[in-house]
Amino acid sequence: MISVSLNAYLALSVILFALGFLGVLVRRNTIVIFMCLELMLVAATIAFVAFSCYNGTMDGNVFVFFILTVAAAEVAVGLAIIVALFRRRQTIQVDQLDSLKN
Amino acid sequence: MTTDLLQQAAASNQWAAIFPELSLGCLALLLLGLEMVLPKDNQRQIPLVALVGQAGILVGLLINFYTATLDTETFNSLLRHTHQGQVMRVFFLVASLLVTMLGMISLPKQKVPRVEFYHIVLVISAAMMLLAQSNHFVMLFVALETVTVGFYILVSYFRTSPFSLEAGLKYLVMGALSSGLLLFGIALLYGVAGNPALPGHTAEPMGFSGLHSFLATGANAHHFLAASGVLLVLAGIAFKIGAFPFQIWIPDVYQGAPTPVTAFLAVGSKAAGFAVLFNLLQVFSPCSWLLVPVITVMAAATILFGNFAALTQHNVKRLLGLSGVSHAGFLLLGVVASVTVPMAVGAVHFYLFAYLLASFAVFGVMAHVAGANDADQELDHYAGLAKTNPFLAAVLVIGLGSLAGIPPLAGFMGKLFIFVAAFKAGHYGLLGVAIVGVVVSIYYYFGWIKAAFFETPTASGDECQASRPQISVGLVARVVLTLLAMATVVLGFYQGPLGVWVALR
Repeated sequence: MISVSLNAYLALSVILFALGFLGVLVRRNTIVIFMCLELMLVAATIAFVAFSCYNGTMDGNVFVFFILTVAAAEVAVGLAIIVALFRRRQTIQVDQLDSLKN
Repeated sequence: MTTDLLQQAAASNQWAAIFPELSLGCLALLLLGLEMVLPKDNQRQIPLVALVGQAGILVGLLINFYTATLDTETFNSLLRHTHQGQVMRVFFLVASLLVTMLGMISLPKQKVPRVEFYHIVLVISAAMMLLAQSNHFVMLFVALETVTVGFYILVSYFRTSPFSLEAGLKYLVMGALSSGLLLFGIALLYGVAGNPALPGHTAEPMGFSGLHSFLATGANAHHFLAASGVLLVLAGIAFKIGAFPFQIWIPDVYQGAPTPVTAFLAVGSKAAGFAVLFNLLQVFSPCSWLLVPVITVMAAATILFGNFAALTQHNVKRLLGLSGVSHAGFLLLGVVASVTVPMAVGAVHFYLFAYLLASFAVFGVMAHVAGANDADQELDHYAGLAKTNPFLAAVLVIGLGSLAGIPPLAGFMGKLFIFVAAFKAGHYGLLGVAIVGVVVSIYYYFGWIKAAFFETPTASGDECQASRPQISVGLVARVVLTLLAMATVVLGFYQGPLGVWVALR
């Protein structure tokens, strides 16, 4: 059995979270932004599972199921909005979606 | 797990305690069922069913206000029923009633399915009511996400309008980002509070009481992971209430969203954020060395940004959005004060009720004035409203006056209570910023009133007026708007029962 320290899991989780967060801020394609958002949720999931394993409580593992469910609902609604928007505007690049202004 | 433990868990499931939420859910399903079985001609009665059903639930909730489950924890400590929680339940029910009413005005102007709108409004209200009573991070997260995902749909509800869809996408990205921050914060808190190497570690790191006792032990409140977790959770909540620096989404989303949804976002979603913030502030109270300075800076920046950004707006929905940001700042002032002065909690709740009455009065007028393009509501469209429709103009003046905090309206008393609480707590600098904010806000609110009363429609305005059908105010809307305006005036003179009721702890 290979033993991996808690800190290694946490480092992976923080790196994934940071990647997702930066991706949301700098990427221009809505689908890629969406993937980055999912990456953030997955990063939190890794942290939950790692903590759950090392602390010996089950709550974190159970929480993961709720996160998965919520993420699925979010994706379903999000992709529907993106498809409807693409039909109207023929683009999903965020820098071209600027019709809302003063 | 032994059967004893399961039986114990089942015994704490007191379904009667969440009766209002359950009935809201059933009512929501009933609406969808009615749409299937009713013939097409009778389907316009469905919103009325929603309205009457919600009024019935509200009456039931008020009659059973002091239930046996008050100040107890149910559902294995997932929920905790407090007086403040009950007050917020009433608040969310009143808000969803009024949103249903606004929907009955706004939706017929568009070609969209109607019934699903009311369905989602009911589901969101039920989730917000659970959110205000949650006592466990799993409950908090699931309820919050039910609210947020519901709002994604509502914001992009006018799916033939590119504005509504764009607003929906922006809200989706920002909302999901804030959920991610919140979730990561919860993960850190869960990890650190359950860590067997730390003193005071708990077997229930997700429960609020377990987490509180962990943070209160030794130097745990200064632990790096705990502090980061607390800050990330705070950031997630700040997104929902639209506090600086997480307010960027507000103007665009408020402009693009259908008017009833804008009202729901401005009042319901914001109040839900504050209800959660109050609960969490009690849990995080050992961390107040960190939270008080952060929220103080946040409140000052929120008040200043909201008011100064609103000065240049011509679109009334953006204007109300940014003024809503400044209201969130005033409420944050009350939240900071509540750490040391308990009366501030009551002050914040009174402010929320005053804000609800005034906002829905203004949004009710907006829903009437709006044309076919819901995102296009400029100040110019209000030119000459006092002549064409004196009733709407009068309601608008009372609503805006209350939002601006003009005595003797309810909004003034709300601000006064919060300022008194802040003075008692000794936040003099923040109080100065808030007073500057109030003075600035009077300018843009009065610009709107000026447009309605003293400006005549210009040439381009005339074309707009010509293309707009005559504004007709239905009987229900007229009664509701009159009630809102009257309540705003009466609460300014006499706060008595409501003031005592919201201040009880």
